[in-house]
Amino acid sequence: MNETAAEELQAAVRELPQRLEGYREMLLANLVMIGEIPAPTFKEQARIEFVKQRFVECGLEQVSSDTAGNGLGILRGRTGRHAILLHAHADTPFPETLPHTLNVEPERVVGPGVADNALGLAAIVTLPTILDNLGISLDNDLVFMASVRSLGRGNLEGLRAFLVTTQLPLLAGLSIEGVPLGRMDYVSQATVGAEITCRVDPEHPVEAGAIPALNQVITQLRAMELPAESQTRLVLGSIAGGTSYKSPALSATLRFQLRGDADPVVDGITEQIVAICDAVARSTGVRVEFDVIARTRAGGLPDDHPLVVRTRHILEGLGIDPLPPTHSSAASVFLEQHIPSITLGVSYGAHRGEPSEYVEIAPMLKGLAQLIGVLQAIDGGCCD
Amino acid sequence: MTDIDRWLETNTYHHGQFWDLKRLIETKESKGLTVSLCIPTLNEEKTIGKEIVILKSELVDRYPLLDEIAVIDSGSTDRTLEVARSFGADTYLSAEILPEWGTRRGKGENLWKAIYQLRGDIIVYVDADIKNIHPRFVYGLVAPLVYRPEVHYVKAFYDRPLADTTGIRPSGGGRVTEILVRPLFSLFFPELTALIQPLSGEYAVRREVLERIPFPIGYGVETSHLIDVYFEWGLEAFAQTDLDRRVHRHQPTRDLGKMAFGILHTFLTRLRARGILPGLPELTPILRQFQFHDGKYEQVIHELHEEERPPMVEVPQYREKRGLPPQEG
Repeated sequence: MNETAAEELQAAVRELPQRLEGYREMLLANLVMIGEIPAPTFKEQARIEFVKQRFVECGLEQVSSDTAGNGLGILRGRTGRHAILLHAHADTPFPETLPHTLNVEPERVVGPGVADNALGLAAIVTLPTILDNLGISLDNDLVFMASVRSLGRGNLEGLRAFLVTTQLPLLAGLSIEGVPLGRMDYVSQATVGAEITCRVDPEHPVEAGAIPALNQVITQLRAMELPAESQTRLVLGSIAGGTSYKSPALSATLRFQLRGDADPVVDGITEQIVAICDAVARSTGVRVEFDVIARTRAGGLPDDHPLVVRTRHILEGLGIDPLPPTHSSAASVFLEQHIPSITLGVSYGAHRGEPSEYVEIAPMLKGLAQLIGVLQAIDGGCCD
Repeated sequence: MTDIDRWLETNTYHHGQFWDLKRLIETKESKGLTVSLCIPTLNEEKTIGKEIVILKSELVDRYPLLDEIAVIDSGSTDRTLEVARSFGADTYLSAEILPEWGTRRGKGENLWKAIYQLRGDIIVYVDADIKNIHPRFVYGLVAPLVYRPEVHYVKAFYDRPLADTTGIRPSGGGRVTEILVRPLFSLFFPELTALIQPLSGEYAVRREVLERIPFPIGYGVETSHLIDVYFEWGLEAFAQTDLDRRVHRHQPTRDLGKMAFGILHTFLTRLRARGILPGLPELTPILRQFQFHDGKYEQVIHELHEEERPPMVEVPQYREKRGLPPQEG
């Protein structure tokens, strides 16, 4: 894409929020209808079926599920020489039993999973109609995908399975998240998400139970020296154990994530953690299990990659402040297949992961405008 | 097979039978029908935005089943009207419609005034407090009217899954339906017991029926509709559609007492007017409930006037607006 074309695109994108005014209700309606279908990881099928129905109504071609269960549809480009993947994960961390009622307030939409990731999904479901109605067409094919098994133990299996098996000549990937607007994540850290469970054999109980053993593990984890130069961090995310206050716990579980810039460093520390588990098991007589939930490798696009540069210009042109890049696990999966990718957010919000999660309505049109602009930039050659 | 069994078989639907909205709209357009949605409100700012967003986006913009969406408000003191307007609904204050007729307080008043204000050949009423609003709440009710000219009045019912693998399960309405309305219908109008949820606040009706029936302004409006339509057009004029689940506010028993009083009042008045229970004494508007307060029982007195609005076709302003000749006498 030469500078003149880039400037023309920039000018056109600046006009987009106004042209998108009439699509706010459509986006909100899709957001509510998607968000009210429970989709815990591994049980996303009802939500995927709804998304596919929407893809059919929008006139996408080859609407189907792949073997992993991802929902897919293709918008044909003028030449179809390459394809661009537009992807949003369909799963949420909330169980089916939680009421999935969303409330539309004048300034925001509130409810579990509305930001992560009903809004991201609503954006890609609304986009084909917008592109069609605004007469925006691309040279390359646009592949819309609602992916399954992304979060937690899903470990991005849906996206990974698609990228490994697809025969499509993918030029780039765009991952859409509900929040925050301004995120542009194109780097992936080395991460290991894992679970350590201390278990007491009920036939031969250890008097103190599982919790003191887990406490020893945690104490030793916190005493580990993490190399500062590789930005390595250990995040203790959640802890659970026992069933009553008056009996020793038969099991106790810690979930954590280790992250850093260098794969060898993270691998080395992971081995240290396994050794700590073994040592605590020997000294306490409690079984200590170490189980990897999810793993990503370090990498990503350089700051001066044309996709990064062009995306930043588009955001700034729309008056959106680009946020410093943070770790994107999706970027790691694209990277494994050598496909450039970037993750964008659609609006602002808060309380992510809580039933009171919300997204703001007003910024959504800018969020949609940036998606269209970045798609056009990729189509115009910034990833060739 | 009794009439009830036959009617249940032919006139009871599940919304899933009307999934093909393209076909529904083609049929609607080929018949030259127009459809208006009326949402009566009073302080519904928490749920109204979602209803408007979903129904306008899906049933006006995407599939043009609805020709207008109107909120008719009883005088909300919260942001109900502002929110509804901001998401694209037409909004009206009930008091400003037919001002010559004054203002009465009650949902029935809004439903009655909607007949004057709205344009549609079919009017579909949907309550504003539905938390799990979905387009089926509208198309499930409108579709039988579009496809079957002999059907005039379609009621919603809820909570019966399409695929029920457990065999027999009780199906019915809420507490007031099961302990008051269905027993009354069983005694006096057995065929009307076939309506699974006679009190549901969602229904779609042809204008030519709506304009010919009187409207109690309070709790009795749904019951009175059923009796009047039944007398005039028979059971065949009704259909009902299973809309699956409806999530809404749970009402305390004390409020249900007021509802039951209003319904009973209307019901008995209808029986008297139709000569079924002649000699019924004048009915008091006073409902007495009791509460325990400061160590003693005390009365709580509610004055519940079940006033009635006349059939709209008898209102001169309506006749003029619709181009009907003035009524004689």
